[in-house]
Amino acid sequence: MENRKEFTRRKFVKSAAAVVTGSFVVRPGLAGRTSQGGDADGVPHRPLGKTGALVSCLGVGGYHLGSIREEKDSTELVARALDAGINFFDNCWEYHDGVSEERLGAALKGKRNKAFVMTKVCTHGRGKDVAMKQLEESLRRLQTDHVDLWQIHEVVYWNDPELIFAPNGAAEALLAAKQQGKVRFVGFTGHKNPAIHLFMLAQNFPFDTVQMPLNALDATFRSFQQQVLPEAKKRGVAVLGMKSLGGSGEIAVNGAVTPEEGLRYAMSLPVATTISGMDSMVVLEQNLKVARGFQPFGEREMVALRERVRPLAADGRYELFKTTTKYDGNVGREQHHYPPKEKLPA
Amino acid sequence: MDLLQDPFSSPNIPRQVIPERAIPLAAPGQEPSSGIPLRKFGRHEVKVSALGFGGHHLGDAENVQVAISMVQEAVDNGITFFDNCWEYHVGKSEDWMGRGLQGRRDKIFLMTKVCTHGREAMLAMQMLEQSLRRLQTDHLDLWQIHGVSFENDPDLFIRPNGAADALRRAKEQGKVRFLGFTGHKDPAIHLKMIETGFPFDAVQMPLNAFDAHFHSFAEQVLPEANRRGMAVLGMKPMSGHGDPIEQGELSAEEALRYAMSLPVTTTITGIDKPEILRQNLKIAQGFKLMTAAEMQSLRERTRRVAGDGRYELYKVSLKFDNPEARLAHNFPLDEQSAEVKEMLKATENTGHPFPDIKPPQP
Repeated sequence: MENRKEFTRRKFVKSAAAVVTGSFVVRPGLAGRTSQGGDADGVPHRPLGKTGALVSCLGVGGYHLGSIREEKDSTELVARALDAGINFFDNCWEYHDGVSEERLGAALKGKRNKAFVMTKVCTHGRGKDVAMKQLEESLRRLQTDHVDLWQIHEVVYWNDPELIFAPNGAAEALLAAKQQGKVRFVGFTGHKNPAIHLFMLAQNFPFDTVQMPLNALDATFRSFQQQVLPEAKKRGVAVLGMKSLGGSGEIAVNGAVTPEEGLRYAMSLPVATTISGMDSMVVLEQNLKVARGFQPFGEREMVALRERVRPLAADGRYELFKTTTKYDGNVGREQHHYPPKEKLPA
Repeated sequence: MDLLQDPFSSPNIPRQVIPERAIPLAAPGQEPSSGIPLRKFGRHEVKVSALGFGGHHLGDAENVQVAISMVQEAVDNGITFFDNCWEYHVGKSEDWMGRGLQGRRDKIFLMTKVCTHGREAMLAMQMLEQSLRRLQTDHLDLWQIHGVSFENDPDLFIRPNGAADALRRAKEQGKVRFLGFTGHKDPAIHLKMIETGFPFDAVQMPLNAFDAHFHSFAEQVLPEANRRGMAVLGMKPMSGHGDPIEQGELSAEEALRYAMSLPVTTTITGIDKPEILRQNLKIAQGFKLMTAAEMQSLRERTRRVAGDGRYELYKVSLKFDNPEARLAHNFPLDEQSAEVKEMLKATENTGHPFPDIKPPQP
């Protein structure tokens, strides 16, 4: 029953791809949005909200690209991901001080049009000018003249929305960059609290996407799944899931779920893609096993998994991005006058 | 561009910046003209000093002699409320306070806290015996659940054989007079504790001019506790470690006077040096309530830097969560922190993750 549903949906995705190819006004040099829909054994592609673009239901996380020791290995990982049908690549201006963007830029050389490239801007409360300067740096590092999606990074401090929407704030930069054709779509990310996300969405800004942590534990603890996902859907904003295993594998390492269960759970939610950090071919292959010809969990399996992990979800021990400062980067801490990671690890 | 003018006007999100009327004020005219004011302990007839002596910082005193003489000087100058906790400095704080209170125990109101952090009643009773032994007394005036910081702590507290059972038993046995709980994380967790229906006499919470703007205990918990006749014990009047005072956001006197001007029974403040004791005694002895206008003007001043929690790291990070709490909940132990190093070295800790659930079968 559930399988048939997914099959139908995949067929829909395929036909949607055809429609998009035919109707979307293609700017020269822009591609990625028309990748082939999922074959039975490929990685399925899904519509990115109302944008008309199609993205692979598994995305390659940019942070971990910069964690790989040798550049040749990150290049190989990107190539292998593209071959397997993944087109969604995540990144961020502040990851590894720019190394993550440089790695992706190098790996996509000559293949840029096969990829849907997202990066994020790290104003953390600063204004439009800082944002535009960071965009130029990102484009240079990524060796491209445009990014497909540009998101405001790490909206995790409670006064961030106020600063983002202030006159000359980062929100204005998103619109300007879009007008200038340097970015196709815009969005925001954050891992702290559903209330902050809802606050951002309530501003009625034309966000194309919103990124949030989605995993089996989130379902019952300060839940993005319960609170933000429906609101994004209502507004037609595409959802990008992240932290399917807790950010650094905490959920799997501690035995709450297997890595396969964790990823499959996150990908079974109504999201455009699930971004997963992959710092080795082993992890990529493990993820591809789940993503190829993706079979979502049925409702009963979803409920059973949520209930099984509920006791471990209840204090946030494996969702440390919500309950501690462990996942809050130094660039944002500096802007908000928080101690750096070395002084305040969590 | 369709931007709302006021980012806080969204109907979905509660306003973080709270209106003036939301913060309650202490009733004027209740303070004496000299000496440290005494205030009623909630619905009970007992009175305690409006300034309380914090137990954690006592363990930071230069040595045991300094600690003993600070405790004696405090009692002799009118402080009657003494705070402590089973886990502060792995027992050193209780031990030093016990020594300082020799011969003065009956003049003061002694509180300590129990560190089950979700674990069972038996553990709490063992901790109580240790606390009484270190404090050299046969009873506590107030025994509180320490560090209610995690969302499931209220459920774990009230469950059968949870720490609530220990609180009831200790009171029946005459080892404690009153019961309460403390926490610094989230007003919602405090409200959940209150809603368990347990007959708490007291509740402790961070209260300062920054709290007024950010996940505010003063706005959300203080009125509810007042309404129920619970004694409210304010803490962290200087944000825990005095950071905003070092940064020049406000003076120590402004910070302490603001906290003491809220409708609380006492304000607990950390005292690790004789000069800090004297500074705080001076403020408390000549204490005059701030006017509503003074309080509002201080809040205006703190607003700009309050909205991201930079001066209330206990609400947003693990920094102020003691090692026992982290162990009991299986949260990371930051081995850089002095307290964690000390604890790991000095104790064979009994902490284990709760609840103990089996990993899934492959």
